[in-house]
Amino acid sequence: MSLTANTLVGLRKLVASRWRELALGTLSIVLFVCAWYVASWYLQETSSGLTPYVPSPRAVGEALWKSGSFLPGLDRYTMWDLMESSLTRVVLGFFVALVLAFPLGMFMGSSRIAEHMGKPLVEMFRPIPPLAWVPVFLLAFRAFWGPVAIVFLGAFFPILLNVMFGVKNVDPTLVDAARTLGAKKGNIFVKVVVPSVVPYLMTGVKIGLGVAWMCIVAAEYTGLSGGAGLGYYVMLSGTGSQYSYMYATMIVIGVLSILTAGVAGLLEQRFYKWSGMK
Amino acid sequence: MQTQQIVLAVVVAAILVVAGVAAVILLREEGPAEEKIVYYTTMAPSLMDSWLAENQTSAYIAWEPYASSSVVAGTGRVLMYSSEIMPQHPCCVVLAYDPFVEEDLGGGVTGQVLTLRFLKAHIDATEWVLDALADKDGANYTLLVDMAVQFTQRSSAVVEEAFDHVTYGYQMDAEFNDALEQFTQMYVDSGLVTNESLVNLGYANASVFVDDYVDESYLVAAEAIAPSPTILNPSDPIRLGYLAGDLHQIAQVVALNESAFGGTSIFEDYGLNVDALDPFLNGNAEMLGFKMGQVDIGYLGAPPAINKRVNDLTDTTIVAQANSEGSSLIVSVNSDVNSLEDLVGETVSTPGELSIQHLLLKIALNREGIAFVKG
Repeated sequence: MSLTANTLVGLRKLVASRWRELALGTLSIVLFVCAWYVASWYLQETSSGLTPYVPSPRAVGEALWKSGSFLPGLDRYTMWDLMESSLTRVVLGFFVALVLAFPLGMFMGSSRIAEHMGKPLVEMFRPIPPLAWVPVFLLAFRAFWGPVAIVFLGAFFPILLNVMFGVKNVDPTLVDAARTLGAKKGNIFVKVVVPSVVPYLMTGVKIGLGVAWMCIVAAEYTGLSGGAGLGYYVMLSGTGSQYSYMYATMIVIGVLSILTAGVAGLLEQRFYKWSGMK
Repeated sequence: MQTQQIVLAVVVAAILVVAGVAAVILLREEGPAEEKIVYYTTMAPSLMDSWLAENQTSAYIAWEPYASSSVVAGTGRVLMYSSEIMPQHPCCVVLAYDPFVEEDLGGGVTGQVLTLRFLKAHIDATEWVLDALADKDGANYTLLVDMAVQFTQRSSAVVEEAFDHVTYGYQMDAEFNDALEQFTQMYVDSGLVTNESLVNLGYANASVFVDDYVDESYLVAAEAIAPSPTILNPSDPIRLGYLAGDLHQIAQVVALNESAFGGTSIFEDYGLNVDALDPFLNGNAEMLGFKMGQVDIGYLGAPPAINKRVNDLTDTTIVAQANSEGSSLIVSVNSDVNSLEDLVGETVSTPGELSIQHLLLKIALNREGIAFVKG
């Protein structure tokens, strides 16, 4: 069967098996849009001072459509350009976070000394909002990598902590069984600990991706090079009172966050199937 | 074996992703080869001189004292003053919140009365500043520099250099309105203000809007105001908005100062209780303060006032000018940049697309046939 046919069959199976979930999800979005419409209509009817800040769903939809070819206040850019720039930063920042956080989490989870030394630093830096680091990172890492570093910071801690948690929660029975069968420390680590950590890693990946997208506004709001992105335009359109375009851009950020998390989820399922874990 | 395959798969995937992203960056299409483009990045003025010193940008445009700070530090030099782009261009204005002006505080005291007295104090303070600047050997000049140093947190050398490039004034004439109309039209051209939003407000075009938004009648009436022996609003202070460290707004600093004028401020001389709020970081933040009803009268740049009046329906009126000119395009002291043409292909910092500095630089570049695009 061709790839397209396989994909269509897969999608049909997905819809058939999860139709209730999809229906309820769609219903909640429809209800939200209806409530939004009523709110904007009410504000307009009562000539409320809040009217400009709550454009109607239709106005946001029109802005979303027009943004494909024009963005108020940002000459020569379209929504596609913003998506390209932001995706670049999120993907780069996320992958650097993954490459660093995974081995560090494995190390801190399996070594008491590493955990005791690392945990105070983690707990100290984790709650600091990425926005606070923007001036420092932009000067330290320059205009292109500074925003990437902000995204990295957002994604790093969820992956690190979940991997650490995963290592510490490896079933001791499995470790004992492997040891009994003559496995050395290295083998136990590679053949028992690592596969057991993968579900926790994937949880950290999905959370990290979400946080990475949340950081994109902070990451892009000032002084960057490599093109204006979605976060930059959220700030600019809000500052310029183009609220329809601001909400349209926020919707795009949300959709991209869902899609990237969805890709991570699909890869996770493929991995489990391939490794025989499910 | 299975684990090795997992690790290999992850490494290959990571390499492919990084390579793909690098390819996108390196192969990104540029504009037509013959087009001249200057790129910009936006940031707070307080960061601009360090970025210039680090060679992350080739120039920056900012208001005083941020322009003079790098000149005095010896790291920057002026490529162009804003006065060269648009002589006598308006910059900061005095803005009144319409619901405040219409308020009746009782006892014959209204918001309008307080606004007129405020403007009279602004006129006196501005004329004091102009007199002080005209006599740099006089005691008042030393006093003015001290006030400015305290307000801006910059050295006296920076402040004195900055004063040479700012023009203080309060009057609004036809050129003032024409310039604001040009800024409004630039907003319309870029989509930040739409003709539809102007029409919804009842204005056929930018010119009609500006003629209504700027009200000279307050200044005319304020000229006749006499000092008052008593404070007219002892329990309802005028909530004064202004921007942090903005030397353009020195008139309100002078008007608030008590020690320089024998123990009472100029505001108090005119019977006013004025409460200077915590400074705002930029004009947009101050306009939000107006919108929320937290600011009665404020000093800020004209462009954000225009944008928020039209888009956010913030009920305000421009009642006086605070200054004109007073911004500069700064390049590194050692750079080869000697003209706008030399900036083609380079990156310039601006305070943001809505700022007057950004609009002025765009005007200057467009005049030379150079496009101004976000980098």
